[in-house]
Formats: sequence, C-alpha cells, structure tokens
Amino acid sequence: MPSISTNIILAFITALLGMLIFRSHLMSSLLCLEGMMLSMFILSTLTILSLHFTTSFMMPILLLVFAACEAAVGLALLVTVSNTYGLDYIQNLNLLQC
Amino acid sequence: MYVMFLLSILLVLGFVSISSKPSPIYGGVGLIVSGAVGCGIIMGFGGSFMGLMVFLIYLGGMLVVFGYTTAMATEEYPETWGSNVVIWGVVLLGVGMELFMVTWMVEYGGFGVGDVFGGVENWMIFESKEGGVIREDSLGVASLYNKASWFAAIAGWSLFISVLIVIEIIR
Repeated sequence: MPSISTNIILAFITALLGMLIFRSHLMSSLLCLEGMMLSMFILSTLTILSLHFTTSFMMPILLLVFAACEAAVGLALLVTVSNTYGLDYIQNLNLLQC
Repeated sequence: MYVMFLLSILLVLGFVSISSKPSPIYGGVGLIVSGAVGCGIIMGFGGSFMGLMVFLIYLGGMLVVFGYTTAMATEEYPETWGSNVVIWGVVLLGVGMELFMVTWMVEYGGFGVGDVFGGVENWMIFESKEGGVIREDSLGVASLYNKASWFAAIAGWSLFISVLIVIEIIR
C-alpha cells in the first residue's frame, strides 16, 4: 500500500508541474488540472477503502462535483480567449504587457 | 503478483504523457488512459462503485466536454509525442524518474517513514436489524443523501450557479 500511494502522489506532483509550466496551449494546463483532480480522487478512495471509513466515501464524490464546476469555468474562459483570438495560445494573453 | 503496483506505475506514466504537453487532443487521450488505469486500481481494492464513478462521471462527463472544446480550439498540425524534441525529453525524464522510484522501492522496500496508510479497521454503519449484502462504497455515497443532505443541496446549487456563471463568461 505505501508503494501504491507513493506512485499516486508522484502522479499528482507530475500533473502539478505540468500545470505550472506553460508551453503553447492553455488547454494543456486545464488537462493537467483534471489530472490532479483524478489523482486526488484515486488516492482518497484507496485510503478510505483501506481504512473502512464508510461515511467518508462522499468526499471523493463531492471532490468530483466541484472539480466539474472548476473545469466548466476554466473551459468557459478558454472559449472566451479562443473566440477573441482564434486559438488558445498562451502568447495571446498579453493585455497586461509586463 | 504486484498487479496494483504495476497499475500505479502505468498511472504515473500516463500522467507523464499528459504533463509533457503535446497538443491537447493527445493530452486528452493520455488522460482517458490514466482514468481507465485508475478505475482498475480502485476496483482492485474493492471499490466497484467508485470505479464506475470514474468512468461515468469523470471520463464520460468531464472529458467529453474537454474533447468537444479541444475540437473547437485546435490547430491544423497537432504535435504528438514523437514530433518535438521537447516533448520527447519530458517523457524520457518522467520515465526515468519512475524507474528510479521503482528501483528504490524494490531494493529498499520503503522510504524510511512509518506506514501511514496502514489498515485501521472501523465499524460499518448498520441501520437495519437483518443482515445482507452491503457494499461499503455504495453505502457511503448513499449516506450523502441521508446524513449530509444539506451538503448535497449545496453541491447541486453550486452546479446550477456554475452553469449560470459559464453562460455569463461566454456572453
């Protein structure tokens, strides 16, 4: 069990690094954010299954609900950028100019 | 024999393929594969309802929306995992990190800290007099509607509000 949780925490760190380091698309960072949510869901479900905390099973489900909310808002922002510039390149977000 | 450990290694490799930032459509493919492997890990631990949640809600709900949005805002020549040297380098770095971690685990069998996720048994929630077949994960999620009904109402309301927020953002 510790080796499996170590792997899942490594997956979370990998997705976190992928979200923080930009390349060209804004969509790739949103996908890495979804990966972080998936790894948190898996880790919490495995922990609750091992410890038999039965009523805590609602926590991963609610995590999924609020991850869906934030994914929707992130996608709406991406669609706004894409409607203005045609693509969701990071270099298009240059209004601040600093 | 160590099937769960191998599946978790596949999970990390799937996440490496997302984090190497190819074109978003290939990142979506990597996320689907990672979600399927994660579902396998959860079902190997006995949580069949939670695995079904991963497939239905996560892959079938959220990733479909991501797929449609990616199809809308994508470029003409998407770059895959073999087309750019940067993506190759990140994938090799991720595979190397995972190999290092696996070698450490096989050789030393731990990281020196205690067993944080050890099994501590707890009683299940029984509310009836007779027995029967009870799946603890379905029962736990069903307690969302009984013990935490207010939280379920708040979650439903926030989903509704997020739809209105999305409509306002893309007005």
